[in-house]
Amino acid sequence: MNSRNFVRGVVIMALALLFGIVALNYKLGTLGRSGAGMFPFMVSCALFVVGLITAVRSFFIERLAVDYDVKNIALVLASLVGFAVISEYLNMILGIVFLVFCSTFAGTSYSVFRNIKISVCLIAIAFAFKNFLGLSLPLY
Amino acid sequence: MELLHNLAFGFEQALTLQNLLYCALGCTVGTLIGLLPGLGPLSTISLLLPLTYSIPAGGAFIMLAGIYYGAQYGDSVSAITMKIPHASSIVACIDGYQMTLKGKTGLALFTAGISSFIGGTVAIVVLATMAPMLGEVGFLFGPADYCALMLLGFFCVSFVSSGSLLNGLAMAMIGVLLGMIGTDVNSGVARYTMNLAFLQDGVGLISIALGCFGIAEVVKNLDNKNVLTPFNGKIKLMPTWPEFKRILPSALRGSVIGSVLGILPGGGPTIAQFAAYAADKKFSKYKHEIGTGCIEGVAGQAAADEAAARTSFIPLMAIGIPENAVMALMMAAFIVKGIQPGPNMIASHPDLFWGLVASMWIGNCFLVILNVPLVRYWLSVFKIPYVVLFPAILFFCCIGTYSINNSLDDIYTTAVFGLIGYLFLRLDMEAAPLMLGFILGPMLEENFRRAMLLSRGDFNIFVTRPISATLLSVISIVVIWQTTAFFRAARKNRNKPALVAEEVAPAAG
Repeated sequence: MNSRNFVRGVVIMALALLFGIVALNYKLGTLGRSGAGMFPFMVSCALFVVGLITAVRSFFIERLAVDYDVKNIALVLASLVGFAVISEYLNMILGIVFLVFCSTFAGTSYSVFRNIKISVCLIAIAFAFKNFLGLSLPLY
Repeated sequence: MELLHNLAFGFEQALTLQNLLYCALGCTVGTLIGLLPGLGPLSTISLLLPLTYSIPAGGAFIMLAGIYYGAQYGDSVSAITMKIPHASSIVACIDGYQMTLKGKTGLALFTAGISSFIGGTVAIVVLATMAPMLGEVGFLFGPADYCALMLLGFFCVSFVSSGSLLNGLAMAMIGVLLGMIGTDVNSGVARYTMNLAFLQDGVGLISIALGCFGIAEVVKNLDNKNVLTPFNGKIKLMPTWPEFKRILPSALRGSVIGSVLGILPGGGPTIAQFAAYAADKKFSKYKHEIGTGCIEGVAGQAAADEAAARTSFIPLMAIGIPENAVMALMMAAFIVKGIQPGPNMIASHPDLFWGLVASMWIGNCFLVILNVPLVRYWLSVFKIPYVVLFPAILFFCCIGTYSINNSLDDIYTTAVFGLIGYLFLRLDMEAAPLMLGFILGPMLEENFRRAMLLSRGDFNIFVTRPISATLLSVISIVVIWQTTAFFRAARKNRNKPALVAEEVAPAAG
């Protein structure tokens, strides 16, 4: 069903179920002496109710379509993860270069020369952070 | 008299060369980042938080506060010149942008700057007198009262920020649940950690803030294929005397409204702006001009914005409960520096408290003498195309999350929350209540469990204590009002479906 409000209700209910069922694995205890699972379980129940109301209510109000674009979010996430992986195994300078070259695919235009300029600027900023602000970045 | 003495002490703290520098730096960087499309105060603060880690506590707060109001001013600048609204400057878009269309950009920017100054000054007087007084009240709060206050905060923030109680509440609860991730302080059980070592301490607040606000906003702008037209008009700043006289009454009105609304739970700049704008529409001498680009429409809301931003520090510093998402971030910054905001803060760290109060006023001066004249240069940020800007923003997000714990794992967490934030964004779920829920979640659990322990599992404790009973009755009034509003709208909708369709959406969400 392509209705934003309905999907929202379903997502909320799913999250509530996820947290609620996991909470049952922890000790619940009694209200007076509650265990680790009691409070998350209570909140999950309340959240489930809210999700249910949202889903039911969606039938009574105007429908709005869900619009999304997988390409941009995927590119941005990939560049973040790539940055972390490259920084961990190689160094952060290469990570920055990867971040710039990968993420700009999501932009309206692509230019290698411009990307080189952006990378150089960002690397310079990273050096400034490391040397003047005392952040410990694994740059090289 | 004591107040003056305290303020003098505060200025003594704030007027060191170092702290002045931090204040100026915070204001300038805050304005600059706040100007960027899609970056409101929340994301600006979370982006710049790492800059303050290596600075001593006093200077760090002064800089953060500077970043906060700098970001707010930057927001209103982009709203006035280019009609790019953020959560904190929706109202500035109305008359401010109309003034730009009339070629009075400079006047609008000056009005916004000077009104912020007036609003800030009024609010500081309120802050300096009210916070210590409310701090006394804070000592009367028991666990049940804290629970009720936090719940009220959730309800108010949910309602104010998303316009729909149900949505906002859901987000606040998701936030509370996310706050549960990590080790349970009472029993030592690791909850929701999926056996990942770096989740033992919980999810980082900055990861959530940057994911939901920074990354999700960047992707949203990319999806919209926003091409910004940079502002190229002339800017003449100084107003004439008759124009200046029009600023004053409406700025003062806005200051008072903002100061009051800033203190209330769930209050803060956004709602204060709307209230001040509405008041101007009703009481101003020039009310017939409002909406067409007149000075009052800018002055009142800017003053209210700034005043509410200041006074919303009061509940945080006096009772220890942040009332909106920005304050939740501020609270996290306090805790990073080893200071627990609450009734004891003013007594145990008077230098920090009064120094911060004084520095707020100094920050205001910086805003007027530094940022307002220089704003034409700041605006050149917009000549940078977005395709250059957004890799830089992503880079700052990465550095920001990394430098909290010097851990690359946090970047993965940020990426996950970027995805979640994008999902929420596409489903129209406002992330601000989530932030508040996340910060307050552990405190809520702690106080709830304590209250239940005291009452041996009896819920009556919430109704028998006067403070919590009052707060809870306010909540029930809000709930009843919302439900009846929804059913009334639904009934109307059934009678004439085509006509009322637009009305239902804002009323019921």
